[in-house]
Formats: sequence, structure tokens, C-alpha cells
Amino acid sequence: MVLAVFGPWLAPHDPSAINIPQRLSAPGGAWLLGTDALGRDILSRLLHGARWSLGLAFLVSVIGLCIGTVVGLLAALGGKTLDWLVMRITDTFLAFPELLAAVVIAGLMGAGTTSLIFALSVTGWMRYCRVARGIGLTLQSRGYVIQARLAGLSPLALARWHYLPALLPSLAVVWTGMFARAILGISALGFLGFGVQPPLPEWGTMLLDARIHLRSTPLQMVWPGLAVVACVLAINLVGDMLRDALAQEERS
Amino acid sequence: MMAILSLMLRAVVVLCGAAIATFSLLWHAPGDPALAIAMARHGTIVSETVVSVVREQAGLNVGFWSALQDWAGPLLVGDFGHSSVTGRPVLPDLLNAMGHTIPLALLGLAIGLAIAISLAMLATRRPGGGVDRCAVAVASLGAAIPVYWLGLLLILVFAVQLSWLPAMGARTPLHLLLPALTLGLGVAAALMRIIRSGILEARAQAFLPALARRGVTARAIASDHIALHAAIPVVTVLGLELAFLLEGAVMVEVIFARPGLGSFLVDAIAARDFPKVQAVVLLAALLFVTINLLIDLIYRLIDPRIGARSA
Amino acid sequence: MLSVDQVTVKRGRVRALDDISLRLPAGQTLAVVGESGAGKSTLIAAVLGLIGLANGRISWDGAPVAHCRPALVMQEPRAAFNPRLSIRQTVLEPVVAARQPLPADRLDYLCDRLELSTELLARRPHEISIGQAQRAGILRALLNAPPLVLFDEPLSALDAVTQKHTAQLIADLQAEHGFAALIVTHDLGYAAAYSEQIAVLRAGRIAELAVTARFVRAPASDYGRTLRAAAVALGALDDSA
Repeated sequence: MVLAVFGPWLAPHDPSAINIPQRLSAPGGAWLLGTDALGRDILSRLLHGARWSLGLAFLVSVIGLCIGTVVGLLAALGGKTLDWLVMRITDTFLAFPELLAAVVIAGLMGAGTTSLIFALSVTGWMRYCRVARGIGLTLQSRGYVIQARLAGLSPLALARWHYLPALLPSLAVVWTGMFARAILGISALGFLGFGVQPPLPEWGTMLLDARIHLRSTPLQMVWPGLAVVACVLAINLVGDMLRDALAQEERS
Repeated sequence: MMAILSLMLRAVVVLCGAAIATFSLLWHAPGDPALAIAMARHGTIVSETVVSVVREQAGLNVGFWSALQDWAGPLLVGDFGHSSVTGRPVLPDLLNAMGHTIPLALLGLAIGLAIAISLAMLATRRPGGGVDRCAVAVASLGAAIPVYWLGLLLILVFAVQLSWLPAMGARTPLHLLLPALTLGLGVAAALMRIIRSGILEARAQAFLPALARRGVTARAIASDHIALHAAIPVVTVLGLELAFLLEGAVMVEVIFARPGLGSFLVDAIAARDFPKVQAVVLLAALLFVTINLLIDLIYRLIDPRIGARSA
Repeated sequence: MLSVDQVTVKRGRVRALDDISLRLPAGQTLAVVGESGAGKSTLIAAVLGLIGLANGRISWDGAPVAHCRPALVMQEPRAAFNPRLSIRQTVLEPVVAARQPLPADRLDYLCDRLELSTELLARRPHEISIGQAQRAGILRALLNAPPLVLFDEPLSALDAVTQKHTAQLIADLQAEHGFAALIVTHDLGYAAAYSEQIAVLRAGRIAELAVTARFVRAPASDYGRTLRAAAVALGALDDSA
């Protein structure tokens, strides 16, 4: 996280500065992790890429969170017919493997950041929706929710005061998982060539670049992959900790 | 019985929804498919008349609903239409691609299960011990590794550095090994933790000491009771694993330059060959929904309480 | 007046309420007694419009009950409050929802009557006693001066001393404010002491509907006699009454 924000200032070189004589150089010296096919400094590109990879993943997972929560609450609060309809729509979206659907959507919309965001958001809200609806339905029989309904609280106020606060901890756990998945998804799309476009330093795109030079400079492809793994691992760990803390609180 | 029928009905509703969603997604996709087809057939510079002729031929000049009907009608009898680029029927090509992907996915799943189960059994010998903690750490790490990067690393080690195994293409059965290993490692990482906690939970079940007192041998307990109990969570996540398997297979095929559904899909997207894209996406949905339905049904067989609770 | 006319409620194939008819005039108290599962809570849910009726009609002065904004006092006092909000926030909810300003001194006055301090209102549900929570529940119910208040086993979560105190408080406030009270209870002694009518519910049907004084002297139905004998044996009801 910290690196994503401050990375660009830490970067020793301009990530897009092309330096053909120094292309594909080994790690060490002025280029800590070496250079790529156009002689650009890999470390600098990694640090700048953190912004793209993590920032976009954050954006996508938050968009999914918003859509999923709203749709899930709609199902939980809107009565039986609406619930049935919303859940079948959710099932329909779940019928496609997420990443596959994202690849198709991003691919058809044309490569680029906008279609990447759209594709991953559209395929990434269903888990939030299921969790929000599930908890929402159990809340319905709670005394204070019945009281609030009797008092004539509007559905919006009901959601704001009684549903959202109760949902938040579980949604946070889901969010960490989806954030990690988004990082993997973005780099996967980048790697397939459907994501962030090449001059920009995104980790998946960097891997795609590096793949061509697998035989000559194998180390070049190690770094972006390591960056992805480190981030996903860190986020998953935070998610596990959140879940444990949540379980503990519920027991007490 | 009613519950099973309603589950199946729901699956049908979802599939219909999926078909309509697939079609409308492609229908509303930006870019002119007729232009893409014309360019694929006649070179990059095409006149407006050629494009309109192509549009006519491909049935792209009708409204959304009639186009949906034209597409969905034959679909019900298994006709996926013709490729808009080559004009050949989609189905044979699709089946051919599946012929490459299914062995890969099955071998990947088998490798994954084998690794996950043996690692989990090893880990649960002494829960909380050094082996256990190592296994869990490895699994967490494995879950964080993108499949395509893992594939590249395996290529690097086994094909480039050691030259033990062939990497690219699908000429010999040996070519299957590295891609399947890539897929299997990914599957194993996700399954290992679940199997591990399944075994631990099953061991904690109250009836086990009673069985032991009645003289049931430890081996019999392990094979009959613990295995069945540990199977329940595994069956549940198998549905999710299937998604991973499909997605993973697509990525792996691209990395290893293998023919199959992955390359079929990526090529079709690049060529804007809509009938082909539709066919793959729908096939994935069909597979996904059917297998999840089966899992739901199996689940009820293993654990009768589920049916009773949701009915 | 609350009118319940030939109401039937189905839960699956079971008739949770079967052809129930009741009348509760404004300002009076109707006690509904019966064993667990007799349909008492279902009756409350039906009156409040929380569940659909298979048959029949429920109204307050000829209009749907919801129009008079009835209030409910629950069996589990703490469950009626959102654990994440302060008591004050939850208590003021009906006022916020009604969008009508409260008479300036009404909150203070009711707090005073219900022995709830301002400091107490700032706490969370788990930081106050059950007796206090139930009084806060009554405060919330009465704040908007509803003409009809439903009590679902209002005393059963409380200890004996608090029960007596709370029962008296409810009766006093009813005398002051004149709301109609529908009290569901399994405690015949409580029903006998504070109601004008008693309805005995059994398996979703009304076994007996009588003026309280008469019921206490001599129930007309077999089941009514069984209930009365049990209450006398437990000391909840004075046999000489």
C-alpha cells in the first residue's frame, strides 16, 4: 500500500525513459533489478506499476462492493418477488466463471483501462450481494429491525442505521478477498493483452513483455510476478486476521 | 423430491438468463462486427458496399429480438451457428478444442487433489506442528501465485534451465505434463487448507470416541467416518474449483501455446468472431451450472441435514 | 377500537390462527393468555400487519391498523435495541420517522415517570439492566402517544420484583394516557390483575373470551378451568377472588 502511494518518488529512474544501449541488462549497478527490452529500469517500472495494479484493483473491488451491497440490500429489503428476481439475476452472473467473463467483456470492449474496470466490476459484485442479502435476511427477524419498521422508518434510513453497520464487518472480509482477486484479475488481463496497455507499467503487462525474453533474461519476468504474489499474500493475511477477529467477536 | 425439482428448475432459469445475457453482451459490444468480418475476409481496406453485403449475409441487419430468436432457436438442438469469419460451423471446432482442454483440466484436477490430500494428511498428523505450519504457509503462498506466472516459472525451470520437459505446443502426451502440473499446483493450494480443516473438524466430532470404544479400528474410523466428513466441505468448494480450473486452463493454454478452449476463445475475441465467443461463454456457463447442480444434489446425499434445512 | 374479525393465519399447512374474532375498545386492556405455541405471538404479528392473513380483517376505527402507528413492547428488552446505537438514538426513532416535533417536555416527562436518567439514555443496550431496557422499550413505545400499544410477554424476561414494578408502571401510564393495550402473557395472575377482558387461546383458536372478573371467578371452558387451577396452584392467582 505504502509503496503504491510513495513508489513513484522512490523510483530511481524515469519508468518510461528508453535506453536502448542498456537494454536487457542484468541486475546490479545503476539498475537494481536490471532493465527491460527497451532499456527501461525494472525497479522504477515496478514501483510505478504498483499504482496501476493496486490502484485499479482497489477501485474495482470498491465498485463491486457498492454494487453488491446495494443489490443485496434491495433483495433483502424489497420483499419476496424482488428478492427472487434479484437472486436469479445474481445466479445468472455467477453462472460464468468470473475471470473468463471478464476476459470476454474486456476483450470485446477493446483493450484499455476503462473496459478493464468495467469488466472486472461487472463480474465482481456477486459475492458481496450474497453476503449482504444473507445477513440482511437474518436481520429481518431482529427485534430492533421490527421495531424500526413499525416506527415507519423509511427503507433508506433502515438500511443506513440498522443494516449497513451490521453488514460492514463481513463485507470487509469479503472485500479483502475480492481485492486480492482483482489484483490477480488485472494482471491476468494485462498478461493476455486485454488490460492496461503496454507503455503504462502494469505488472501483468510487464510479464507479457518479459515472456518474450524468457530465454535470454529470465530474471526479468520474476520481479513483476513476485510483486503480485507479495501483495496478494499480504492482503490475504489481513483478510484472515479480519475474519478471525470477527469470529472472536461473534463468540463473545 | 420437490426440492430437487425446484433446484433443477432454477438451473434452467439461470441458463436461459445466461444465454440472453451472453447474447445481449455481444450484441451491445462496441465496434461493427460486419466491418471486422469484412476485413478478415477481404483485407484491411474494404468499401462500404462490401461491409453491407457482409452484414446482410451474417444476419446482422435485424433487430435485437429477432436476432436473439434466430440464434437461440437452433441452439436448443445444439447448433451453435457458423463462424462469422471462416463460415464453418462452430460446433466441430469447439468440440475439437474441448478435446484438448478436458484432458488438461482432468489431469490438473487429479494432480491437484493428489497433492492436496497427501499434504493435508501429512499436515494433520500433528496439528499445529512444524509440518502443519509449513504446509499451511505453502498453501497460502500458492493461493497468492497467479497461474500464468507459475506456468512461466515452471517453463523457466523445467524447460529452459533443465530441458527435461517440452513446454510449447501439444505434439506429444509429454507436452501435457507441464501445463497440467501448473494447473494442479494452483488447485492444490486452494484445496489443501479446506481438506485440512475438514479432517480436523471430522476428528473433533463427538461420535468418534464412542466408535473407538466399540472396538472399531483406527484405520476403519479414518477411512469410513473421517473421510466422509472431510468430503463435505471439499464437495462444496469443488464447484468453485471448477471455475478456477476453467479460468486456469484458459491461461495455461495461452502460456504454453496449446490448442484448446483458451486459445479458441482468445482468438475468437481478437477476430470478433461472435458466434464462436458466444459458444465458448455459453458452454462454460452450461458446464458450470450443471456441475454446480450435481454438487448440490451430491451434497444432499452426503449430508441429509442440508435438504431438511433448506426445504 | 381494535376489531379482529374472523382472522385466519396459515403457517405452511398449519392454521396458526383459526377464525379469531376480538374487540378491544380504546383505552381498555385485553389480555391474551395461553400456552407456548397457542398462537399468541402470531396474533401480535397479525395485528401489526407483519404477516399476511389467509382470511379475515383487522382494523382500528375502521381503518388499517398501521394508520394509527401502533407500538410494540417486546419480550426480549435488549433485542429491541440496536446493539450498535445508543438507547437514545433507538428510542427517538419513531419521532424521527414521524417527522413531527415532539412536545418539548414529553421525553423528559416520560423518562421521569419511567425512572430513566439522561445519562442512561446515552448508553448501549448491553450496558443497562434488563429492567431498565424494558422501561426504555416502554418509553420508545409511548413517545409518539399511539392509541394502541401491544405488549408481547412484557414481564417474562424480568425478575419477580421488577415484574411487579413494571406491571404497575404500565397500568399507571395507561390510566394517564388512555391507550388501548393488547397484552399477550402466559401469566394468568398478571392478566387477571390488569385487564378488562381475557381471551384464552389454544392451538390457534379462542377457547374462551370473557370479562376478566367473571373469568377469574369461574371460567366457562374446560381449558379455562385447567389454566385457572394451574395458576392457583402456583400461587399466581388468589383462589378467593
